[in-house]
Amino acid sequence: MTVAERLGLVNYRNQGRSDARAHIEVDTDICNSSCPHKCTTRVCPAKCYTLDDQGNVHFQFEDCIECGTCLYACDQGAVTWRYPHPEEGRGVNWTLG
Amino acid sequence: MEEKFDCIIVGGGIAGLSAAMTLAKANARFLLIERGEFCGAKNVSGGVLWGSDLARLVPEYWEEDGGFERFVSHRRLTFMDEQSAFSVDFKSDHFKETPYTGVTVLRAVFDEWLAGKVQEAIDASAHPDESFLATDILVEEVVQEDGRVTGIRAGDEVFHADCVIIAEGVNNLLTRQIELEKEYVPGDHVAVGVKEVLKLDEARLADRFQLNGRSGLTNEFVGACSEGVEGGGFLYTNKDSISLGLVLGMNDLRDKGKTPYDVLNSFKEHPVVADMIRDAETVEYSAHVVSTGDIKGMPSEIYADGVMIAGEAAHLLLNAGKAIQGMDYAMRSGILAAETVVEAKKANDFSSRMLGNYRKALESSYVLQDMKSFQQAVHLLHRQEMFSTVPNLICDFGRQFFTIDGKPTPKASAMMRAAIKRHASYWDLVKLGLKGAKAL
Repeated sequence: MTVAERLGLVNYRNQGRSDARAHIEVDTDICNSSCPHKCTTRVCPAKCYTLDDQGNVHFQFEDCIECGTCLYACDQGAVTWRYPHPEEGRGVNWTLG
Repeated sequence: MEEKFDCIIVGGGIAGLSAAMTLAKANARFLLIERGEFCGAKNVSGGVLWGSDLARLVPEYWEEDGGFERFVSHRRLTFMDEQSAFSVDFKSDHFKETPYTGVTVLRAVFDEWLAGKVQEAIDASAHPDESFLATDILVEEVVQEDGRVTGIRAGDEVFHADCVIIAEGVNNLLTRQIELEKEYVPGDHVAVGVKEVLKLDEARLADRFQLNGRSGLTNEFVGACSEGVEGGGFLYTNKDSISLGLVLGMNDLRDKGKTPYDVLNSFKEHPVVADMIRDAETVEYSAHVVSTGDIKGMPSEIYADGVMIAGEAAHLLLNAGKAIQGMDYAMRSGILAAETVVEAKKANDFSSRMLGNYRKALESSYVLQDMKSFQQAVHLLHRQEMFSTVPNLICDFGRQFFTIDGKPTPKASAMMRAAIKRHASYWDLVKLGLKGAKAL
């Protein structure tokens, strides 16, 4: 099963909203200049961190399932983590949990 | 809601709701704030609530349909190599006696049910209109005045209380804000949990796992399930679904370059697991950080003037090889924090001196007693041998022992010696065995 198939089963909040407020900000300049491991591109269970062909890290918050992995895994100070805003943010709404 | 509450609880998970239930029963005035659309909407766990505290909060909860999924009557610990599984299996009618000592839960279902029970307790209390469960509100800040916590801020609104119980979960941003936890906590003492819930018709599930009525099976796995990464797998039976997942050490996952979803795929494809989940359809995928139970991972303190930290926000969790206990610790810590509030209210003293009684109560309860006495086991379980050498050796021995192939059969002790030779040295195993005997 792919990550995309798995995330297709997740019920997100404010799914229709195109201008949802990001709850996680990533300073990818840090990832792409001095980070020795770029580990978020592997440990994030929702694959919100990806590597392009040049090996640069990109981040999107829309698929985030609020697990907190990157909050702990990033030891470079690149990740600013908040909880999503109930009305304006994204984030999960579990059916089973 | 202008007036001051006795207590504000941040988070409608098990710790927060257990605190709320205790306060409602003691006729305290409180406000519980949950950021999800309903209590449970943001909550994930592997799936077993151990212990019997639930019966203290909701007497005879087993008489109802709602809430928990199944009670645990059958337990299994499985060592795996790539092809085999060698299990320690225990099933007993004793586990059918109420109060149960373990129930499987799906948190979005269970927490919402428990919140309903808390609301009933509020309605039956002396102040039914002065305590509230408020959902869909995000607490952005813990408000402090002169170094003591006096309330919380959500958006533009500030709510005041004599004290605040922070039960925000393992991603403990508020605990960090009030500096009981460092601003950045490295991944040393946490793991990544990933889980799928797989739907299977209730009758087929019962037949497949030999369940009877509402009885259930819990199965933990160590070895090939985690592809060499520190950690293990679990399978729990719900009413008409299976919770299947992995808990993988954060730093080890990082250092080995694996991804949690690929490891989960290979766990599902293991022949033994594939047989257990055949024809079951994945209906939800979830993930969450989990504490590993290392006491060094706890915040520097779990109380201060006007505030207490409960549940996994305080990194209360233990996995000493017997069970992953997190939700029962959340429940007990929530109860103890609320009991401290009641005591503090009587004395009209919410200083850290008084709220320190929360820590004392937790220290004398099984929560911190067990976390302390099983630290060696926690460390032992995180050794590389425990998820590679040991399960491989056990499965190798199992294969020899259970094979009958028309050749003269060596004695079991000779088989064991041969298996050890192939996977480890005697001396290493003796050392490990001695550590294990001491730790457990």
